[in-house]
Amino acid sequence: MKLVMEKRSETPISLMLISPMIAVALTMISAAIMFALLGKDPVAALQTYFLDPLSDSWGLQEVAVKATPLVLIAVGLAVCYRAKVWNIGAEGQFLFGAMAGGYVAIITHGSTQGPWLLPVMLLMGAMAGACFALIPALLRTRFGANEILTSLMLVYVAELLLDYLVRGPWRDPAGFNMPNSVMFEPEATLPLLMAGGRLNIGTPIMIAVVLGFMLLMGRTLKGFEIRLVGEAPRAARFAGFSETGLVITVFMISGALAGLAGVLEAAGTVKQLQPGISPGYGFTAIIVAFLGRLNPIGCLFAGIFIAITFIGGENAQIMLRLPLDATRVLQGLLLFFVLVCDSLLLYRFRLLRGAAA
Amino acid sequence: MNITRRHLMAGSAGLAGAALAGQHAEAQSRLNVGVVLIGPVGDFGWSHMHDQGRRRMAEVLGDRVNATTVESVAPPDFDRVVTQLVRTGHRLIFTTSFSYFAPTQRLAPQHPGVFFENATGPTTLPNMAIYNARFYEGRYIQGVIAARKSRSKTIGYVATFPVPEVISAINTVMRGAWSVDPSMKIRVVWVNAWSNPAREADAARALIDQGCDVLCSHTDGPAPLQLAEQRGVFGFGQASDMTRFAPRAHLTSSVNNWGDYYAERAKAVLDGTWRPTDTWGGLGSGMFRMAPFTNMTPEEISEATRIRDAIAAGTLHPFEGPITRQDGTVVIPAGRRLSDDEIRAQNYFYQGIDVAMP
Repeated sequence: MKLVMEKRSETPISLMLISPMIAVALTMISAAIMFALLGKDPVAALQTYFLDPLSDSWGLQEVAVKATPLVLIAVGLAVCYRAKVWNIGAEGQFLFGAMAGGYVAIITHGSTQGPWLLPVMLLMGAMAGACFALIPALLRTRFGANEILTSLMLVYVAELLLDYLVRGPWRDPAGFNMPNSVMFEPEATLPLLMAGGRLNIGTPIMIAVVLGFMLLMGRTLKGFEIRLVGEAPRAARFAGFSETGLVITVFMISGALAGLAGVLEAAGTVKQLQPGISPGYGFTAIIVAFLGRLNPIGCLFAGIFIAITFIGGENAQIMLRLPLDATRVLQGLLLFFVLVCDSLLLYRFRLLRGAAA
Repeated sequence: MNITRRHLMAGSAGLAGAALAGQHAEAQSRLNVGVVLIGPVGDFGWSHMHDQGRRRMAEVLGDRVNATTVESVAPPDFDRVVTQLVRTGHRLIFTTSFSYFAPTQRLAPQHPGVFFENATGPTTLPNMAIYNARFYEGRYIQGVIAARKSRSKTIGYVATFPVPEVISAINTVMRGAWSVDPSMKIRVVWVNAWSNPAREADAARALIDQGCDVLCSHTDGPAPLQLAEQRGVFGFGQASDMTRFAPRAHLTSSVNNWGDYYAERAKAVLDGTWRPTDTWGGLGSGMFRMAPFTNMTPEEISEATRIRDAIAAGTLHPFEGPITRQDGTVVIPAGRRLSDDEIRAQNYFYQGIDVAMP
């Protein structure tokens, strides 16, 4: 008698919805064991991690602020990945958006501008992200270069360019030679929405984007085209959809959203340009996109969940004196279990009787 | 925008109120102290020693304090971490990086009931003190030893950011080296990070390839020293005693000691005598010390010991005139020495240092 893994011919919808939840549950159980081994009360620790960030207005606002860039980027990546186009360089597109939007804020610094300033910054950020994403797209469609490698390597280009700009031409003259730009003028920063927190207009923009992409993917021909090219490329060709055009479109969409996230982060929370402006949002968003089943609304929930683990991790350091590494282990476990559960979607276990084997 | 401003003000007033209420409730009980670290506790250098300082404070004050460390806090996350510390009743918060100076300066006025301490910023506020150690004293000794040890007459310096603190450290290494041999040269690589072991090692590799055979480092961990060990050249540890990371390359380390200061400051809050002071301790006051000299001849050790003791006693001063800038202008004539403010404001290299300001 033996246990074998067998490829499924079809994946039930219910399993697709349950699988991420199983992954989260398994993560929680492993986390509880880890906390117990570290000598902490597992229930209290899980509460600090997952419930305390949601227990008051300030905490909720912080979760929203942290989730906003993750969800924005992930929604764009989900579109890409649905079409089986692998944009790994969202981090670079994020930085390009921040640089382009930040540039507007820096050149207008010290003078009063009209209410046009912020919309222009956001537009510039989205466009810069899209243009930067166009590079790996064209490299693939023109020369057949692997977009995983080119988009990933362009992250370094963006990082080094930002590094150069804030150390050179854009450095704050009164900043003790530290590599950062001037602080943006108040009108070049995102308006806050609520008292007692940092919630800004970035979050409603993010939610609008999620809703917009739900409609795009589910209700329009373009959405159908994207899904079809990813799932059945031959059928898509017969239907007359151009793969080249699609690669460029999805890259530009995800680049634009990453760029928008970048400028929102620069103008919303950091309020200046500096090399450490992104703690790896572009890469974390890849996890968010997959955890959210490459579905816009799924990305929203996944982004919120990941944001909670980040803030919960800080709370755990403050309240429970748990090291940061515990949080990193937790996030690693989560990704691991997501992948494990995904294999359940594609395969099923079957017990083979001795005779049959 | 008006609405925004008002919301912002209302928010900070609300938080301040909460902080004051917290202060009241806590007044009779323990003092909660928060320490915000720029790198991981396990960097075996700068952040590690601040965490050691927190432990020392807890030892000295026992159950009168409750101390918390938050590690690897990137500047964009700083506001949230500090606000959370304030909200959870921490009334004394040490922000332990120059990168936190500007944000601490911005946040302190929003939380008037909380006492902030920033290492190693330049200015104070009514509820924000600053503290630093005179690391340049150790740098001078490093310069002297480097000049004795180097065959290529070239020192390599793994530098972080071109802030005055780092520039003045490079200047001091050279003054120490020139006091032995005026033909000494220095090469500098900027890694633009406080802690990034891979880049630190790359920088060290580049410096050694350019002929440097004694390495100084300004970054938080032992990576450059470990590379010196691998490549068979000498190096200095920084922040903690790094002998064990490079038993054959290590010459000495500046070993930070924040614990006594932390204990003193926490006690001041408990006693209600806290003032926004500007503390700049050195070898003399024990804010840092030199690790035992290793891989040196007895003569070299006795010379280094003599210089260390002279600096600690105040009879030798690393910034004695004459001092001339790279561009030839005289900073200070012979017979005078730089004041503390002038030392802190050094954003120029000395003449003879053949390094361009980035």
